[in-house]
Amino acid sequence: MEDKREITFNVLCFNPEVDEKAYFKSYDVVLEKGITVLRALNYIKDHVDPSLTLRFFCQAGICGSCAIRINGVSKLACTTQVWEELEVSKSKDTITVEPLRNFEVMRDLVVNIDPMVEKLKKYKSWVIPATKDADLGKKECTVMPEEFEPINPATDCILCAACYSECTINEGSNQQFISPLVMLRAYRMNKDTRDTVGEERLKVLVEDHGIWDCTHCYRCVQSCVKNIPIMDAIQGLREETFARGMTNSEGARHALAFKDDTMKLGRLNEFTLPLRTLGMFGAVGQIPFAIKMGLKGRVPPLLPHKISTRKQVQTMLEEVERDSKKSH
Amino acid sequence: MSYDIVIVGAGGGGMYAALEAVRRNPALKIAVITKVYPTRSHTSAAQGGVNAALANTDKSDTVDLHIFDTVKGSDYLADQDSAAYLCEQAPILIRELENLGAPFSRLADGSIAQRPFGGASKYRCCYCADKTGLTILQTLYEQCLRYGIQFFNEYFLLSLEQEDGVAKGVIALDIRTSKIRKFEGKTVILATGGYGKMYWHRSSNAAGLTGDGGAACLRAGMALKDMEFVQFHPTGLRKSGLLVTEGARGEGGYLINNKGERFMSRYAPEKMELGPRDLVSRSVETEIREGRGFDSTAGQYIHLDLRHLGADLIKSRLPQIRELCIQFEGVDPINEPIPIRPTAHYSMGGIDCNTACETSVKGVYAVGEGACVSVHGANRLGGNSLLEILVFGKRAGMEAADLASKLPAAKISDQRLKDQEEHIAGFYGKNQAERYDVIRTELGTSLADNAGIYRSKELGEKGLSEILALRERFKKVKVADHSKTFNTNLMQVLELGNMLDLAVCVAKGAAAREESRGSHSRIDFPVRDDQNWHKHSIFHMNAEGEVSLSFKPVTMGKFELQERKY
Ligand SMILES: Cc1cc2nc3c(=O)[nH]c(=O)nc-3n(C[C@H](O)[C@H](O)[C@H](O)COP(=O)(O)OP(=O)(O)OC[C@H]3O[C@@H](n4cnc5c(N)ncnc54)[C@H](O)[C@@H]3O)c2cc1C
Repeated sequence: MEDKREITFNVLCFNPEVDEKAYFKSYDVVLEKGITVLRALNYIKDHVDPSLTLRFFCQAGICGSCAIRINGVSKLACTTQVWEELEVSKSKDTITVEPLRNFEVMRDLVVNIDPMVEKLKKYKSWVIPATKDADLGKKECTVMPEEFEPINPATDCILCAACYSECTINEGSNQQFISPLVMLRAYRMNKDTRDTVGEERLKVLVEDHGIWDCTHCYRCVQSCVKNIPIMDAIQGLREETFARGMTNSEGARHALAFKDDTMKLGRLNEFTLPLRTLGMFGAVGQIPFAIKMGLKGRVPPLLPHKISTRKQVQTMLEEVERDSKKSH
Repeated sequence: MSYDIVIVGAGGGGMYAALEAVRRNPALKIAVITKVYPTRSHTSAAQGGVNAALANTDKSDTVDLHIFDTVKGSDYLADQDSAAYLCEQAPILIRELENLGAPFSRLADGSIAQRPFGGASKYRCCYCADKTGLTILQTLYEQCLRYGIQFFNEYFLLSLEQEDGVAKGVIALDIRTSKIRKFEGKTVILATGGYGKMYWHRSSNAAGLTGDGGAACLRAGMALKDMEFVQFHPTGLRKSGLLVTEGARGEGGYLINNKGERFMSRYAPEKMELGPRDLVSRSVETEIREGRGFDSTAGQYIHLDLRHLGADLIKSRLPQIRELCIQFEGVDPINEPIPIRPTAHYSMGGIDCNTACETSVKGVYAVGEGACVSVHGANRLGGNSLLEILVFGKRAGMEAADLASKLPAAKISDQRLKDQEEHIAGFYGKNQAERYDVIRTELGTSLADNAGIYRSKELGEKGLSEILALRERFKKVKVADHSKTFNTNLMQVLELGNMLDLAVCVAKGAAAREESRGSHSRIDFPVRDDQNWHKHSIFHMNAEGEVSLSFKPVTMGKFELQERKY
């Protein structure tokens, strides 16, 4: 006998033709064990509500069409088992389904991913090869296995946009932020020994809303349906800016100042940090913000004390530096 | 809008065509129309790899051996001029793709690695881990973005337009708004992928592999070829049809029926579970047909049992298969047997075209799984279909670019637009009462039962009459969703209509071909009959929707007919 259960799907629906705002529709269905969320939603579409709108294609976890939020987490509907999802559901026998975040909703679970494509274009997410056009196809480039290794995980990406949806900076910046998957691509291209435009790409990457805006919340890494270590790629790009001597950007200056302070003080000198990061004119722009902080009694000390565990902090930092040199 | 080249489909075939065309002549106006975002195309699903006689891994490989393997694999139904072109171009295309950034796995000396693959006499298959199709598709998309190719994402092809045998363009529906618009084109390249999804729940294919391009050609009076040839894979998951690869049997998995028997002992006492794909498929199917399968709401199935291999071996050697079973079927092979049955996997037939991708209409080209060039004949070799989309994608781009620069701008009449609008409005009429999902499931079942792994005159004719009846019912099918915004219900109905037209061809061909060749296996004619049947099947449809069958000779070359033995 098959194991069956009655399950409620709460689906966030929205049709711009008729709805002012999104609302939850509830569907009660009896399903057997072994069913994925995608099959369940398609069962609903076929048998209960043909207007329920979602994207799906390969049904095999490789095309990335069916990324949605299931119980609040962005993931693929086709690789998510209903039974397993019920174990983490807040209320028993109920699964909540919503569209991805950080995109405009076109209808129900379908979002407009064009802005993602625009970002892929903006950051030159392609290899411009050393091989001249006329010589294409004539001979293979030599790529040693160890040169291939760093780009290998990044080429697992299927552009499902789960990370795009989960990214907190994307949300905070009104979707202006480069977003994790585009950084991953940039890293993959820059690490590719056949590519010739690494520096050009990097110049765009360090601009506003670029690689320095990420705050390492790791949400992208947690939500990646292919378990790609996206944060390594982001760090890799940042390291490359230093390797190429591109230290004249806000992010790079911030990182340098950060390191400087840590070495000297074992802590940050928050008072002069903005000055060193933004330069004189940029820092002046921060004055209203500083005054507000002052009014709330949250002003950093003018002359910070060195902290007592400074030595340990410095040793840690030196370790890290040695380590990162080794891995290059 | 008027274009030089209108490409329908943004899988590997369509995108290679676009790239080649724009590089050949950057001044050309090119539109690529696709019903899903390019990187969603089913090319992404190919894992195994792509063949090319680079002779990196095995220095003794040659282009000639590749041609021979292809022709033999096709059970001698491939056109040898096309097969030769495919294999000669292969090394060039793989290098070109590599030069453009495709991340192929490497040998220790930094050259492209190659591995063995079914039906190949040498280590010839280039790959990128288990994501060959995905990485090829992504690389092509990246390069298309680089060259500024204009994509019309989420547009659905409704009709191919031609006048007096000359291409005029296509009419397509914008899925986001339901607006119908013309894409006038001096040339049209159809790269719309396979039709294996007509077997529905008995298919490994993406939901949209519904043969839309082929159906548009049929309606435009053009020919389809060798439609009865559909390749089955013996071990698809019961619910999703996804493939459990040979690896599971290679490591020692058992196939078990409801009596607990390892039934392969009856069919292949020596090789047991490791017999050739088609034999294993037929054996599993026989067990199910003779009542020795298991029952479930998703239909009858057989067990692929790995439990005796032990948790350690399963975890270390078959981690991907285990993950697949857990994610898609909710079954952990360490504790439970895997429910499987044969599944439709690849469509050899398609739009009739020659080595230059030309069809019977001037300026209309076909490429990829939706086309029939033909290089796969009665049976495709693993790793040759990715190759096909690269080689012929490039060829189609080249041909279209050259022709387009010689032709005047094309025009489509407004009347044609109105015809399409009316056709679609028809699905919303008051008397429309049939449910698309019911017809779709019945279609899948009828095809699997009557034009699937086993065929006969009787079964074929039964299948044909059932499918014709379904096609009658389809006239009353209802689109229940009346919204203009992203109406996926309408898409599903349009796709079903296309599948039904093509299914008539498949069933008709299955009933007519009185021999067994490659994937086409007749109980009543168990051997190949070169005397009477060494020829291509050609399908046409008239204005009343009647499908007629005729034949066309196979182009021979270096290789004489031989019995196909492995
Ligand atoms: C599971 C699996 C594994 C495979 N493994 C291998 C392998 O290892 N090696 C190998 O060589 N081959 C393999 N194949 C086969 C190979 O992947 C395909 O034959 C090939 O990728 C087809 O490419 P294509 O460009 O013709 O079509 P697709 O990639 O299917 O693209 C079709 C395109 O057409 C568009 N389209 C379709 N209909 C319409 C419409 N009505 N309007 C607008 N656009 C439309 C789609 O949007 C899509 O962009 C495998 C296939 C499967 C299913």
